[in-house]
Amino acid sequence: MNCEQYQDVLSDFIDGSLAPEDHNSVAAHLSVCGDCAAARNDVGAIVGFYHEHRGEYDAVPNERALWLRISNMIEMESPDRSRTAIPANAGWWFRLMNRSWQLSFPQLAAAAVAIIIVVSIFTVVGLRGLNFNGSGVRTAGLTLPSTDGAVKERFRQQQQVIAYWNERVELNKARWNPQMRETFDKNMSVIDTAVNDSMRQLTQNPHDEVSEEILNAALNDKVELLREFAAL
Amino acid sequence: MNLYSPATSKRASFAAFPALFLVLVLATAAFTQQRVSRHYPAGKNVRIELKNLSGTITVETWARDEIRITATMEAPAVHFNPRQTDAGLVVDIVGDNRDRRDVGDVNFKIQVPSRSSVDLETRSGQISVSNIQGDLVRAHVWTSGDITLSGVNAARVFASNTTGNIFFDGEFASGGTYEFKSGQGTITLRLPANCGFRLVATGPAKKISMGDFWNPGMKLLGEGRRITGDVGDGRASVTVTNYQGDIKFLRR
Repeated sequence: MNCEQYQDVLSDFIDGSLAPEDHNSVAAHLSVCGDCAAARNDVGAIVGFYHEHRGEYDAVPNERALWLRISNMIEMESPDRSRTAIPANAGWWFRLMNRSWQLSFPQLAAAAVAIIIVVSIFTVVGLRGLNFNGSGVRTAGLTLPSTDGAVKERFRQQQQVIAYWNERVELNKARWNPQMRETFDKNMSVIDTAVNDSMRQLTQNPHDEVSEEILNAALNDKVELLREFAAL
Repeated sequence: MNLYSPATSKRASFAAFPALFLVLVLATAAFTQQRVSRHYPAGKNVRIELKNLSGTITVETWARDEIRITATMEAPAVHFNPRQTDAGLVVDIVGDNRDRRDVGDVNFKIQVPSRSSVDLETRSGQISVSNIQGDLVRAHVWTSGDITLSGVNAARVFASNTTGNIFFDGEFASGGTYEFKSGQGTITLRLPANCGFRLVATGPAKKISMGDFWNPGMKLLGEGRRITGDVGDGRASVTVTNYQGDIKFLRR
């Protein structure tokens, strides 16, 4: 050990808390090292002073004023503290938003469990409504309301598009040869049959998802076919 | 003894007239039909895009790195201008003859390397594709015409018509997409026993026959108008829709 290391353990040496061999080693060094011996004397004086005056202290001149200063400093450093100044006539929402929420761990855990239970109940109820009550249809990733009115509205919109393209086809039809006219009419009647069958099924069961999808597909096919032949 | 009487000679002459007339008609028809054949160099993964008005389309594979396209045209003045692109070859009879009236049937026979992709479309007429192993096989008939896809092993297959049968004999690749749709006609899928796919089949009630591919995990929806479920590993996606006709699954 060097002098610096010996001086680091001087306090323990004076307290008598060193192991016997360490104590002997430090004592042997102090007997031959003047600097360390002087340091031992300084530390010994300080320790002795505190031992003599243990339990004694001077009273603060104005203890209440000191605590007020400390309290003010803490409030100034904490921005959230400003919210606690709630006016007497403040509404319940203002009071709620400015209230200090300090929850213990059990309270926090209970709140989390309550949120999970509520969300689970809403999710289950929502999924049941979606799957078993037939209140929605997923079509190409889009969930559409499956009410009778929605189907009719969509059908009406499609019919308008169909009417537009049908008009254009009729204008060009005179130029087609008889074979093409016959082929077109025959195939259009196949699609019309699919549309009518689906509409009949939906009239009997307005929440029939399969019929609704077939109806959409058949109407789209009809529009595509008309658009293709309108260009001829 | 004179065996050649004048009466016999007259009968022979009258009998020869219809035969001669028939020969003349056939010769005229053959003369008015125009047949054009063209060759194009191609890589192994070439793509053919064809839009026809009416007529048959037949696509076959061969062991050459080139495309041969043969068009037999009913009307001799049909514009037929195949265009080479970076991806392959585009034949657009519809676009090339937009202002013309009686284009008539154009029958195509196309020979391509087996790794080719084909995208075929016609307003009416049959489409037949065999032994294609490329990425895409698309066959669309706007109105009437059978579609036959045999020996097809492509990652994406789309076949649709309004009236006419659709026959598919091939394999479903893992992760592939396969869609078959008809308005009226039978859709038949002939598949190997070990194929795996996720199915959504929609058709008239009691007209969907799964054959050996039925398993208890499948679901019947909409009073039997839809069958959904997995066959094997379920890795390919198969959608079959038929408004009025049958849907049949056959095991090869």
